[in-house]
Amino acid sequence: MLGLVGRRLTDAEFLSALGGSLRRMVIGYGAVCAVGIGAGVVVGRTRWLNELFGTVAVAIHAMPGAVWVPLAVFFFGLSEAAVIFTIFLGAAGITMANTSNGIREVPPGLLRAAETMGARGPALFWHVTLPAAVPRIVDGLRLAWAFGWRALMAGELLIPSIKGMGRLLNEVARARQLDQLIAFMIIIAVVGVVVDYGFFRRLERGIAARWGLAG
Amino acid sequence: MLVELERVSKRFSHNGASTEVLREVSFSVEEGEFVCLVGPSGCGKSTLISLIAGLESPSAGRVTVAGREVRGPGPDRVVVFQESALFPWLTVRKNVEFGLKMAGISPASRQRRAAEYLRLVHLSRFADAYPHQLSGGMKQRVAIARALAMDPKILLMDEPFGALDAQTRRLLHEELMGIWQKTGKTILFVTHNVREATVLGDTVLVVSARPGTIKKGFKIKLPRPRRESDPHLIVIQQRILLSLQEEIAKVVKDEGLEHLIPKTAAVAGADRDLGSSL
Repeated sequence: MLGLVGRRLTDAEFLSALGGSLRRMVIGYGAVCAVGIGAGVVVGRTRWLNELFGTVAVAIHAMPGAVWVPLAVFFFGLSEAAVIFTIFLGAAGITMANTSNGIREVPPGLLRAAETMGARGPALFWHVTLPAAVPRIVDGLRLAWAFGWRALMAGELLIPSIKGMGRLLNEVARARQLDQLIAFMIIIAVVGVVVDYGFFRRLERGIAARWGLAG
Repeated sequence: MLVELERVSKRFSHNGASTEVLREVSFSVEEGEFVCLVGPSGCGKSTLISLIAGLESPSAGRVTVAGREVRGPGPDRVVVFQESALFPWLTVRKNVEFGLKMAGISPASRQRRAAEYLRLVHLSRFADAYPHQLSGGMKQRVAIARALAMDPKILLMDEPFGALDAQTRRLLHEELMGIWQKTGKTILFVTHNVREATVLGDTVLVVSARPGTIKKGFKIKLPRPRRESDPHLIVIQQRILLSLQEEIAKVVKDEGLEHLIPKTAAVAGADRDLGSSL
């Protein structure tokens, strides 16, 4: 099986499929970071928006990523944009929710201390509010990566016209090549794990150490 | 007078209910004076600090600092809080530089001043540490250095040593005395510990139970450094405690805790944190 996985990793067709999937993931995730953090900041700083989205956020969290695919297809047709939009919808909510919670939960003592030292307006935000919220924001980004990765696969499986890991899975399953199918699944899992542990867990550990958080 | 409060009242409204926290408080602080405010918990001592700091505004009356009415926070009045409120993502040095950075001071002179004030609190060795690597007492010293680096006219201290053990607290009293004598700063220090107030202050103001008013003022002319066991100091402590006892009894009654107080025992000792054990 490992040999099969290894052989797959040198196969040009496979590599271009994996590359296509990763490219969509990077674009979708980039949009998630930009819009999710941006919207989270606005929501976190606006009381009525926060109350509004507080309830909506719970509903969005409860939604499996695959549920967004038909909506994405409705707007973008059976296209690559639809897959990227699925990633976006599947992961932006958690990013926004964590960012706005992080912003709202900045210890008031830190803000008061900063204010007495002359920080206000944008300076207060950049030098105190945002850094204080960083651990929560990064936590949200890690979850968003996991949610986005699932949404990507859901999108690609349901929109077969796009070249990617999802289509490969469908193809080998239809050809009843169980060994190939398992090999692909292993690769998909490994990519998820590598990013999660190799990048996000390390980042979180670094932040926890610097911010002095337990764990 | 550096700081003056004239008939300052403060009400807080919460869910339609209004609470009067301070009622017609008037007192003044001279330049270079060390004034301690003592009172039972919930008497509005911390609110007084917030009013002078400009973090809150009075419902009635006037707060002036150096002749100008307080309308918001300003670098001439910096607060040291009970929880040191250091920024956990910044090193000790960067924490001390924070206010200077906000004031737009150049990095080179920020560094120089941070180093100077870290030396003053004897923490130069920890300049590159992060706050969570420090003990509670060290954190408070950094917070003091951070406040002093702004070169404020008045240092407002809101129960800064309240969360520390007795031994550390005593060391910090000495340290603070040294700093006060070296810098000549005006200090307004809130505490619920009478012994702490008498060891440190030129003046001790007793704040009544809510709504807080200044009940009584005590001038302490004893030379420094003061020994906690100095009989003169103990006499003053007893007088302050007597004045406070009525106030504590009120808090006890308000909170429905009368049954906890044996009739014969004193409610508080000088080194007990007033009301904190209730």
